[in-house]
Amino acid sequence: MEPSSSLPTEKTTPRRSFLAAAGSIVIGGLITLTPLISGVAFFLDPLLRRRPPFKGGDAEGFLAVTNLSDLPDDGTPLRFVLRADKVDAWNEFKDQSIGTVYLRKMPGNQIVAFNDTCPHLGCKVDYQEASKTFLCPCHASAFQLDGKPMNKIPPRSLDTLASKTDPDGKVWIKYQDFQCGVEKKEAVQ
Amino acid sequence: MNLLLNWLDHRTGYRTLMHEALNEPIPGGAKWKYVWGSTLTFVFAVQVITGFFLWSAYSPSTLTAWESVYYIQNVMSYGWLVRGIHHFAAQAMMILLGLHFMQVIIAGAYRAPREVNFWLGLVLMQIVLGLSLTGYLLPWDQKGYYATKVATNIVGVTPMIGPQLQQIAQGGTSYGHHTLTRFFALHAGILPALLVGFLALHIFVFRRHGITVSKSDESKPVGTFWPDQVLMDAVACLGVLATILFFTVWKGAELTGPADSSEAYSAARPEWYFLFLFRFLKIEEVDKLGLAFGALYVPGAIMGVIALMPFIGHWKLGHRFNIAFAFALLAGASFLTAIALKEDAADKNYQAAVKAAEFEGHRAAELAKEFGIPPTGALSLLKEDARIQGPKLFARHCASCHRYNGHNGLEQVRMKEVEENGHKTKVEEPATAADIGEFGSREWIKNVLTNYPSTFEPLKHAGEKGEKFLDGEMAGWVKENAETLKKPENADSLKSLAEFLVAQGGRKEMQPLDPALVAAGKEIFKTGKLASGSFTTNCSDCHALVPADGSESLGDGAGPGYPTLTRYASHQWLTEFVKNPAHDSFYGSDRNLMPAFESKLNDKELKQLIDWMVGDYFQSK
Repeated sequence: MEPSSSLPTEKTTPRRSFLAAAGSIVIGGLITLTPLISGVAFFLDPLLRRRPPFKGGDAEGFLAVTNLSDLPDDGTPLRFVLRADKVDAWNEFKDQSIGTVYLRKMPGNQIVAFNDTCPHLGCKVDYQEASKTFLCPCHASAFQLDGKPMNKIPPRSLDTLASKTDPDGKVWIKYQDFQCGVEKKEAVQ
Repeated sequence: MNLLLNWLDHRTGYRTLMHEALNEPIPGGAKWKYVWGSTLTFVFAVQVITGFFLWSAYSPSTLTAWESVYYIQNVMSYGWLVRGIHHFAAQAMMILLGLHFMQVIIAGAYRAPREVNFWLGLVLMQIVLGLSLTGYLLPWDQKGYYATKVATNIVGVTPMIGPQLQQIAQGGTSYGHHTLTRFFALHAGILPALLVGFLALHIFVFRRHGITVSKSDESKPVGTFWPDQVLMDAVACLGVLATILFFTVWKGAELTGPADSSEAYSAARPEWYFLFLFRFLKIEEVDKLGLAFGALYVPGAIMGVIALMPFIGHWKLGHRFNIAFAFALLAGASFLTAIALKEDAADKNYQAAVKAAEFEGHRAAELAKEFGIPPTGALSLLKEDARIQGPKLFARHCASCHRYNGHNGLEQVRMKEVEENGHKTKVEEPATAADIGEFGSREWIKNVLTNYPSTFEPLKHAGEKGEKFLDGEMAGWVKENAETLKKPENADSLKSLAEFLVAQGGRKEMQPLDPALVAAGKEIFKTGKLASGSFTTNCSDCHALVPADGSESLGDGAGPGYPTLTRYASHQWLTEFVKNPAHDSFYGSDRNLMPAFESKLNDKELKQLIDWMVGDYFQSK
């Protein structure tokens, strides 16, 4: 058996034995830690390396979603699927759904875009036509049309996403996921 | 602290345990020759540690095994290090196993009262061999795939239950997802668990009888395991680890191309420590006796003798026999390994196959990095890649006549069997058509214009039509004009003409072009006027050519059988040519000797072949 390294010997050891013991402990530690530390560093790969979850979009990472004219003028939110090439570890899946968003057309053709992931614990919120609210089916988080929370369950408002409209009237969204369960809106990366 | 330790000791009795573990008496004191068992235990621990972490990133299926290992090796942080350690530690284990075994035999440690422990050691040896065999398949690369196929086919020749055993091992009648899931379950599950169990027994029984010491040491003062022997063990382990790390950094764990059951793998060899068995099975006399004889009965008999060693060793002579037997085995295995290595080193086509396999692995990784791996797996990246498929298509369809820079596209030499003085020998098969490795390049054009006979020399092996080709009009033209073209004053004229013709192909790999030379070349093509003298016949008198720059046609040529040079050597020109070289716009049916490939290659194959020939494929910067 490999001996444990930190061992109090019961009898008093002469100097030579002490050196041998110290040497054993140092070398024993070194040879055990080398594979262990390599392995742990490997295991921490998700923290050591940034991986974009999808490929596609324009130079700034915006994805085309819909036409401005397809959005109702009264500001009713509509849900849209964003498509891009999904990257999952070694695989790249062409033209997949990578997330869903709610879009609202405001006066002056301004676009408000919400990531429809609930900032509480990550379920998808649904727009309720009758009450004109966003409701989360998991823990009853509720949000107003402007994304402000209506109860104490969610830690913050619905997460807004950057958007732009091009001269052809196409609406582009920069899709991001955000950390759930915290007050501050922080992009996951 | 002391209080805490006292409490712990009271509850667990760890001090007695430690004392027991560490103060094992060693008559005659610590010795370097006692370290092998400890180094084996250490390397096994390294395998458990690195194995667990690899497990956390490995995915056993035919569409994800190579892919996840590629990802571990090439993309993930420190993946190369963890996999490298695991890969080379496995090989270190084989060597240490051999050393430990030899030490036990020489010291007579297998004899009474240690027979049982010797047998436990043999069981451990089988488990380690099983681990190495199952682990070899897991990356699902060509090398592991074909090496392991041999092993499962050997299982298949077991008398009575062979086919059933083989199917159980494979998880079906052929290799697939379940081969991997089964091998992985064995490799990461049951085999390590068995190893731990038997190792515990092995060490427990070892302690019962203590270390085997030589007669002269028996009378010497007794030392203890801790700390002197522990230090020696630790230093030996450090040496082993340093060696493993050295190879990890220097060579790195290899990953050949993804496994492909449809593609013969001519570099198939087992890992080096099984090479002796591979070579043994290739001995003609052994081969004649059948696979079961060489691969099962002989190794089985040897293992049988080894297992009986404790009984044989009862007598002094028996012990000597055992030592001699062990050394004979070692020598035999070394000898066979040496022969196998020597033969492979001398076999150029084997070396080319190894190189090609390494290149495929490298190429697959390069493509995966650039494009990501589609859900159909990394193999489909290679199947769609002209850089990989082009040479294979060339070797299959073109190399029976042509050569590509002297080889068959895959850097192999075509051999044929001839009978010489009654016995058969293999000689290089002569080409019967031009070497087109440089086709369409500046060099190619210059060679055709100034050195026609040597460019088309292989055609002299091509029969009557070949002779006719070498005696044809173009050959005659070169005979008349080569001297003029080769004059030093005309060096620029030749260069211009070549540049102009290369410009017609518009090939990416030929860029950049020199516009001044192209323009000068165009004039020469049309008028035949050189810096010094002029051609006996103008190029345009025979060859039709509409310049690639869209300018006016330089002539309609002399009609059928005078190859049109419009877009000469371009992707399109080559495609049309290969489809039907007997077409009137190429050689015409009278002069042509090359078969039409229109019906022999499908559109995809033709495209991949031509893509490769003109260098139209992804090239990393």
